[in-house]
Parts: sequence; structure tokens; C-alpha cells
Amino acid sequence: MNLLQVRDLETHFISRDIDNRVRIAHALNGITFDVEEGEILGIVGETGAGKSLTAQSVVGLLRPPARIVGGQVRFEGRDLLTMSEDDLNAIRGNDIAMVVQNPRTSLDPLSRIGDQLIRIRRAHSESSEAEARSRAVEMMTAVGIPDPELRLSAWPHELSGGMAQRVLIAMALMNEPKLLIADEPTTGLDVTVQAQILELLRDLVTRMNMGAIIITHDLGVVANFCDRMAVMFAGGIVETGTVGDVFENPAHPYTSNLVDATPERLKIGRKAVFGGAPPDLYNLPDGCHHRDRCRFAREECSTPPPLREVGLKHVARCHFAGELPETAQ
Amino acid sequence: MTFTRFFLRRMMMVIPLLVGIVFGTFMLIRVGGLDPVGLLAGPTATAEEFDIIRAELGLDQPLWAQFGIYIGNVLQGDLGESWLSTRPVLDDMLDRVPVTLELLLWGVGIGAIIGIPIGLKAAFKPDGTFDHVSRFFSLFGFSIPTYWLGLMMLFVFFYLLRWAPPGIGRIGLMVSQPPEVTGTYLMDSLIAGDWTAFRSALSHLILPVTCIAVIAAAPIIKHTRAIAIEVISSDAVRYAKASGLPTLTVRRMVLRNAATPVLTFVGTELTGLVGTTSLIEYVFAWGGLGQYGLNAIINGDFTAVQGYVLFLALFSIFVFLIIDFVVFLIEPRAELQ
Repeated sequence: MNLLQVRDLETHFISRDIDNRVRIAHALNGITFDVEEGEILGIVGETGAGKSLTAQSVVGLLRPPARIVGGQVRFEGRDLLTMSEDDLNAIRGNDIAMVVQNPRTSLDPLSRIGDQLIRIRRAHSESSEAEARSRAVEMMTAVGIPDPELRLSAWPHELSGGMAQRVLIAMALMNEPKLLIADEPTTGLDVTVQAQILELLRDLVTRMNMGAIIITHDLGVVANFCDRMAVMFAGGIVETGTVGDVFENPAHPYTSNLVDATPERLKIGRKAVFGGAPPDLYNLPDGCHHRDRCRFAREECSTPPPLREVGLKHVARCHFAGELPETAQ
Repeated sequence: MTFTRFFLRRMMMVIPLLVGIVFGTFMLIRVGGLDPVGLLAGPTATAEEFDIIRAELGLDQPLWAQFGIYIGNVLQGDLGESWLSTRPVLDDMLDRVPVTLELLLWGVGIGAIIGIPIGLKAAFKPDGTFDHVSRFFSLFGFSIPTYWLGLMMLFVFFYLLRWAPPGIGRIGLMVSQPPEVTGTYLMDSLIAGDWTAFRSALSHLILPVTCIAVIAAAPIIKHTRAIAIEVISSDAVRYAKASGLPTLTVRRMVLRNAATPVLTFVGTELTGLVGTTSLIEYVFAWGGLGQYGLNAIINGDFTAVQGYVLFLALFSIFVFLIIDFVVFLIEPRAELQ
């Protein structure tokens, strides 16, 4: 059984404009994906595509004016969207752990690292202070923090960005989660540390047989550290498949543009014709949302594109998926 | 950094501040256009009499020499003599400091005790009914003129309802004053165990303290709400929620993280409301330092005005020092600043 099933998830930003008319931003338009045990799903897309919003919708951490208006999120078969706040709290930080984007500001500035690790453990299990402490040391060691016992009494402001991110990963592991959601886990870190953190994450996921979602805008991260990928554009997933399939045979024009725009491809002489503003979420075009930016747009594109299967578990939301001419040389 | 080192460093920073303040108050009066000689000499004085008085006051000397004399005297605790009361300014002020502090501390203290929880409750549910009601209340406190509030309270609670004593003085006319220990009737009567005096002192305190509390609570509510909302939407609290920590734990975390800025704000309120207190003292004939200062300004009693301004500055420095120390003790990042 799938660990996490997301079906047709729709999240809107509902607000009122200056004339008190209701304005709706269609931030997520029917997101569907699965995560299995022991698998890392990479979600990529440009800024504003809805990557982080997807994660926040899944764990129920949306703030107004964002609101989920449709769809299902099933974790081990239980629907997270209809669950009470208390039941959700029992799952968050326990079965589903988050690693967030700003490690240094995300730790409680007024508690020592050790106390925060112990706190998250004891919030979810009946362990004693001493038990939780030894588990904290164990997890700090697992994420490669030197002198873990000494570091337990460190304050968050005394940590470097990389160290703080390791602490957050240790926090996430305190309660043996089944699903790990990492939202841009390496954005604020320098390149050498990025690789270390991602190696660590991948290693832990396989070792503990967790499922994981890594949200990133970096295709390199997906290529190197994920098993499957989902490409997001304008609040929808335009293509999913194994990392190998999607990179070798991108079926959606947006994906193929993305892949062509990586530095490696540009170096071997590929031309990237790319750009344009993302569509206005308040006023999405009919039919294919990618139409205005697509080089292959035809008349059919003014009707909503179907999900077309182009390979084993490799699908793209495009009228012409798999039939596109090879990218211009 | 240890507390002692922090303490010493802060004290060192106070010294140049003090010199600046003494210079400031000195200059303020000189350039302020007050002519004490004319006031002292009266309308019928001759030019010779003017010169004699001027020489007596040392005002015939150049400005820098006057400042030298002034700073020397201040260091010895001599703030000059008030011509209004014909007593040393320092004695006048020492009598009145506890009287004013009584009003100010009770007022701001109660304002904080009421305002902080209201601001927090409003922040936990922004745009809820409670938030709107509290916003109305704080707008009321912001916009109401202090002296008008004092007069209206006297009108309603003394004149119409007869619940409160008249606004003259700090204790009933027929009540014997308790022996002086702290200088405030409330505390002194408590120490003496004199319940009649205590009740009378308390009943006289209620209206002016309520006025100051209302005026103080308004900005405290607004700021506490803003600070708490900022903390609630911070990365740290959002992460705590994502970690599934119980609501109570998350709230406690919000409180602790909001404590430093809220405390600092209450401190600034305390120093800022000294001026407001003067007006309240006037309305209730309280006879404290604020009233003394106002009288001195109105009557051109420049030594007393200097003394009053100097006291206000010292009081602000003292309050901010205390806040610094408290923040140092509760805030692990303080040593970085």
C-alpha cells in the first residue's frame, strides 16, 4: 500500500479586493501523487508553482487566506484533511516529520538544542527524560554532529546553517517517522554542505525504509538524490515518472525546457528557448495552463489536456505528450 | 559574558550619557527665554537692582563658567534653591519622588497586568470578536485626553455618585497621616497598621491610578498584540506546530519569545507616561513631582525645572538599565548584542 496518497488536491487563496469582491487564486489545481515506503519523491518547479504549498496542505499547516477546497490526502489510509487538529498533532512530528527551509530561524531561540530534541520526543511518546536524552544523542550522532553530548546544551544561535539543518534532521528522526517531507532543505546552505546534507537524507531514508518528499527548484538535486520526480507548473503537476525516464524522455514541453536549461545541457550546445511569466493564478487561462509559454501550442491546447501515459508509471498532462518533435538543436 | 562584566560595561556607558543630559538641561533653560531676574526683581526694580540680583545668581558670568559651577554643584547634590518654595530643590524633589512613583508604578503596573493578557488573547485569534472589542478599547485609550478623563471620573464618581473622595490630595482631610517611612501614605499606613488611613489613602489612589492605567493599557494592548502575532507567524512557532507539539507548549513558547519585546515596551511606557502623570497630578491635586515640575515651568522657577528634567532623565536611564539587566538574564542571545 502507498504510504501517502494525494488525490486531486485543490488549495485556493480566498481574499477580498478593495471593492470587497471575492478574489480566488487557484494556487493548487488538482494535485495527484503517491509516495511509497523507501522511496524519495522529488517535487520540482519554479517559484510560485505551489511546491511548498503542497507540503503545507498535506500536513494541514495552511494559514488563512489559503484554504483546501477539494481532494484527498491519505496517509496509511487515513484521510488527513478531515482529521481533528489533535489527531493531526499526533501524526505531525511523529509519523510525518518536516525538515524546513530556514533551519536557523526554525529552532526555538530560547531553548537549548537538547531540550528541543527531548521535547519533540516526549510530545509523542511516553519516554522518560533520560530515555529521550539518550535517543537525542543517538540521533545527533546519526546525522553526523561531532560531540553530540556537548552540543545538546548549545543554543540555536550558536550553530552554523549546516549544523542547524543537521539538528532539524535529528529532530525529524526523533520519533522514527514513516514519511519525511523536506521543503528546500538545502536552499540556504553552501554547495559542499548541500551535498553532505542530501547524502545524509538519502542514506537515512533507505536505511530506515521511510518515504520521503524533497521539494526543490534544483534539478540537480532531483537527478542525484531522488527516485521519482513530479514537475509542477502553475499549481499543477505536469509530469511524473522515475527520474531516469523523465530526464531521458521528457514528455511535457515544460519539462523538456527545464531539462534543456540545466548548465550541463547548455554546455553541449542545446539551445534553451525559455521564459515568460507564469500564468496569473487569479485568472488562469482555459485549457492548458502552459499554453502561453509553449512553443508547440496548437488549437487543441485551448481544451484541458488529458493525463497521458507515455511509459510505465510515466505520465504527462499534455495533448501531445510523447509526440513532440525532438528539441531543436 | 558574566553578569558582573555586563553590569560594569552598561554602567560605563551611562556616564557620558549623564554628562550629556546635565549639559542638555542646563542649555535648555538658558536658551529657553526664561528670565528669572525679571521675575525675581518685579516690575518696579531699577537697573542697579537687576544687576545685583543677576550677580547674586551668578548670571553675569559667561555661559561656560555658569555650566562649570552648575556641574560642580550637581555633583555635590546641590541642585540650587527654588525661589518658589525657598527650599533646596533636592529636598523638594526627594519629598515628592515617592508620591509620584506611587501613582506611576501602580498605574502602569495595572495597565500592563490588564493590557498584556488582552493583547495576547487578541493575537491568538486575530479578527475575532475579542480582537475587535480590544481594538476599540485601545483606540479609546489612545484618543482620550488625559486631563479630560480625570475630570470626567471626578464628575461621575465623586460629584454624581459620591463613591470616590474629592480630588484634593492623597488622603482624607480628617484622617491623621501615618508616620513617614516610604513617603507614600498607602505603604506607610500599612506599615503602621493604621487601617483608617490605609482605606482613605487607597480610596484616593483609585481614580488617578485608573486614569493612568487606561492611558497606559491602550498602547500596551496594541504592541503586545503586534509582537505576539509576529512571534506566532515566525519560522520557529510554525515549525513547532509542524512538529505536532501540544497547543499549550506552543503557547508557552509564544509567551517566552514575546516576553523580551513586551517588557521593553512596558519600560518605555513607564518613562513616557511621566509627563501624563503630571497632568493627572494636577487634576487630582496630588502634590507629587509632576505637579511640582509643571508649577516650576509655569512660574519660571528655573532651578526647579532643571532639577525636574534631570530627574526625568535619570529615571529613564534607571528604568532602561533595569530592563537591560532583566533581558540579559532571560535572553540567551543578549550577549551577542
